Amino acid sequence: MNLLGQWASYPAFHDRVLSMIGIEVHWAILQYVLGLSAISFILYLIYLKTGDKKWEKLAYTTFKGFVIVFAVGAATGTASEFGLVLLWPNLTEAAGRYVYFPLYAEVFAFLLEVIFVYLTFYGWRKFGKAAMVVLLFLSVLGPWYSAAMIVSVNSYMVAPTGIEPAYNLATGHWMYDQGYPKVTLVVPKDLVKDLNVTLLEKLGMDVKGTTNDAVIVAMPSRIVQRLAYESWAGYKVKDSILKVVVNKTTIAHMSKDQLNKLLNTPVKAIVDKILVKTVETVGVTWVTFKSPVYAASIMHVIGAALTVSSFTMLGAYAMRIRKYKNASKEYKEYINAAFKFAVVFALIVIAVQGLVFGHEMGRAIAHYNPEKFAAMEATTVQITPVTKYLPGGEKLVALLAYGNPNAPLPSYDKIPNDYCVCQLTKAQDLARIGGTCRPPLLIHYLYYTKITLAVLLGFYALILTGYLWWKKDPEKTPGWLLSLGIVAIIVVHLVSYLGWAVREIGRKPWTIYGIMTTDVAHTINPASTTAVALVALFFILILIALGYSVWKFLWVPGRPEEEV
Amino acid sequence: MLYTVFWLALTFGLHIMLVNLGIFLALYVPYLKWKADKEGDEGLEKVAYKLMRFYAATYGVAGVFATAFTVFLLSYYPNFLGLAGNIAMIPFGIAITMIVLHFFSIATFYYGWYRWSRPVHYTLGFLLALSAILIPLGFRSVFAFLNIPVGLHFANGKPYLNVSEALGNPTLWPLYFKSLVAAITAGSLAIAGGLAYSYHKSEDQAYKAAINKVLRQLAPVSLTGLILMFFLGLWYAYTLESIPYKFNNVFASLGWKVGDGVVHYNVAWVFVLKMILYVFQFAVIIAVYKYMRSGSMPFAKAKLLLYGGLAALATIMLGEWLNAFSQYPYFIACLGSPQSCQSILAEIPKDQLPYIAKILNLENYNQLAVVSSVRMLTDGFMLFLLASVVYFFYAYFFKPEKA
Repeated sequence: MNLLGQWASYPAFHDRVLSMIGIEVHWAILQYVLGLSAISFILYLIYLKTGDKKWEKLAYTTFKGFVIVFAVGAATGTASEFGLVLLWPNLTEAAGRYVYFPLYAEVFAFLLEVIFVYLTFYGWRKFGKAAMVVLLFLSVLGPWYSAAMIVSVNSYMVAPTGIEPAYNLATGHWMYDQGYPKVTLVVPKDLVKDLNVTLLEKLGMDVKGTTNDAVIVAMPSRIVQRLAYESWAGYKVKDSILKVVVNKTTIAHMSKDQLNKLLNTPVKAIVDKILVKTVETVGVTWVTFKSPVYAASIMHVIGAALTVSSFTMLGAYAMRIRKYKNASKEYKEYINAAFKFAVVFALIVIAVQGLVFGHEMGRAIAHYNPEKFAAMEATTVQITPVTKYLPGGEKLVALLAYGNPNAPLPSYDKIPNDYCVCQLTKAQDLARIGGTCRPPLLIHYLYYTKITLAVLLGFYALILTGYLWWKKDPEKTPGWLLSLGIVAIIVVHLVSYLGWAVREIGRKPWTIYGIMTTDVAHTINPASTTAVALVALFFILILIALGYSVWKFLWVPGRPEEEV
Repeated sequence: MLYTVFWLALTFGLHIMLVNLGIFLALYVPYLKWKADKEGDEGLEKVAYKLMRFYAATYGVAGVFATAFTVFLLSYYPNFLGLAGNIAMIPFGIAITMIVLHFFSIATFYYGWYRWSRPVHYTLGFLLALSAILIPLGFRSVFAFLNIPVGLHFANGKPYLNVSEALGNPTLWPLYFKSLVAAITAGSLAIAGGLAYSYHKSEDQAYKAAINKVLRQLAPVSLTGLILMFFLGLWYAYTLESIPYKFNNVFASLGWKVGDGVVHYNVAWVFVLKMILYVFQFAVIIAVYKYMRSGSMPFAKAKLLLYGGLAALATIMLGEWLNAFSQYPYFIACLGSPQSCQSILAEIPKDQLPYIAKILNLENYNQLAVVSSVRMLTDGFMLFLLASVVYFFYAYFFKPEKA
């Protein structure tokens, strides 16, 4: 099977790749913004506890690294923000209209970051210890708060609040024939009276309850996505699938003008009323935070950042140890302490990230994104899954995902190609979404590469910890083991990147699962392939240049006045 | 004033003020560094480093207000941003790539001050200056589009932008050049004022001698900039004559009218205020010019120059507000005088006109984004953070280092 071809077949391939590169550049930087700030704070606390100046120096160096990458992170964040506006303007518009709050509140996080990060950095020699603790804490709070906001929106895209997935774990069957997956919507009563509810129920809609002025329904996502498409394509009721479900009795009592007005109403106006009511009912400020995958996602993101930052520290100080042969005793002690801290910290965070946060993330995806989970586990005959080679592989997956080794895994091959399209407009819908509703199988290999590399990193940190515990002196660590630290930096970024790639690529053909497909989110005026390639190249070059610069600033000795 | 408009105006005004200072520093500091190296002048290098340190410390604050503005725009006017995103890829694209390059150049130019070889450092300085010039080109293209949407066409009912036509927008080039010259003028005045003030607080003779050199250089820059601003302002005003709605809102009540001469939203007072500040700057530069050139500036004159610099930055903010509010409540100015862009409006499919007119009106904002809980949060946070910005500048400039 041509896995890359399948991935490329969804709409807007070039712009997806460009977004992937742009966001990945930002993502790589964010790992340090989230991770180094926290590590610097911990190191400063150690300094307060021990009174040993080397910990303050290490806290400062770490914080300086954070400040440098933060500067560029602010730029790549701006670029990502504008990238979203330009490449995916309809998604941006929908986010701004309905789930704006976390993006809005993120500004305050960014303000916190900018002010307190720079106040901490430029005030390092100006403030007392207690003030520094507060400033360093605020410097952690800013980025973490920022991540909490942004990740909530992304979690909503992965599994919108109120999503009812299509997989029935008890039977091991998909429930597409009953209209699943379904999206919970709150429809104002003045709209309900114009709709043929009986027909909608036949099409899979469930009435879940009522409020004073609205009806709560679970609407099949195949209808929701169609309405989203019609909204942004400028459809009117007369050309829409809505025409089919209009209440004929109501129409019969309408004057010609009223009927004309109804038929010429933009679909977007109707969808807007429903979505506004839904958001108001769920809670304007809470809607994204109630996504069922949010808690796991934010833990996983923070865990990734701490893992990447700690392994980077580990690699960097390992290299220092390799080269400090004739250095002063004081300098050696400083580097040794930094290395020991980085090794132990890396071991702890990668263990927690893998065994707790990653596990919770996997469980959330298995429950709320079963199609993606089926692709991740490649429950198909089209490719050979990695789990086939592991004894008890499938049972282990079932145990981890569902807490029961005998639980049936969702079958990828039984996902209908057209489960996400409206049957009335099937041909058109399939053509615009790229021919299939199934997620790309490529993510299976991406996912297992990630898992394998993460396990290797865990073993590496474990071996180093063991060695340090046995020999006590970092200088006695074998040279080849220290040199692997540099490889670990690259690998840990790869692991982090692959995690994000699985999350994003695996959501295709959806941009917002169950609600908006990629083609709807995409700009109506895409740039040429050459322009996209040039911008992508530009981002990659900036990332390489930044990586080199940070290395030079932090690891090549500079002027003495730059030290604390 | 509408709640939504208030926050947009405040964040944009603060952003643009700091950005203008930044444009000047991005152009001047690399030059100063090069000159210091060439002349082997350590004092001059110290000034250059200090200015760059100031820029590195404040550009983030400028960026944060830009982000706040963008997010307020996204939340209050999502449909407008959706439309803009669909058609303005090239101008925004230029601005974005240059912003990334600019931030990268700032970080590498400043943090690598003592670590790069001179050619590499100068190259980074060149990128810093180049990106500072090109960012406003992208954004001013958008602003010119918001005057008259030149280059906007429709195909199959979908809007698109013809970029080469958009570059021929009659308001683009005066606006762009005016912005650049304004940044250089205001920046040079503000920095000269700050340095002249710090001259009297410093006891380092080499540093003081270097400040004198810098003031000598900046005097003609500020004066020439102020003179040029008069002509560039006039040029821009003339191009706005083709949009009577916007033009009359500024000038009609002062006696300069075009078209029907009707004032819909009077902002003449902002223009008058701006002119008062402009005249004040002129008076300041004339009063201190000979002292700047002679290298001997009394403290009273240094303070006057500092006030002149602050007035220049305030003028920038007022100018931006004037440009924006003179077309209120329209996102696109010519919608106030449809005859000024009749051929463009004629291309819009008739059934889309009501929707487009609705989303291009600032008075139609996203009601979900102004619920009372969010308003309270916004007010509280913005107040706290504006206070923090003030404290940040206090700590940066005045708080002494611990021994």
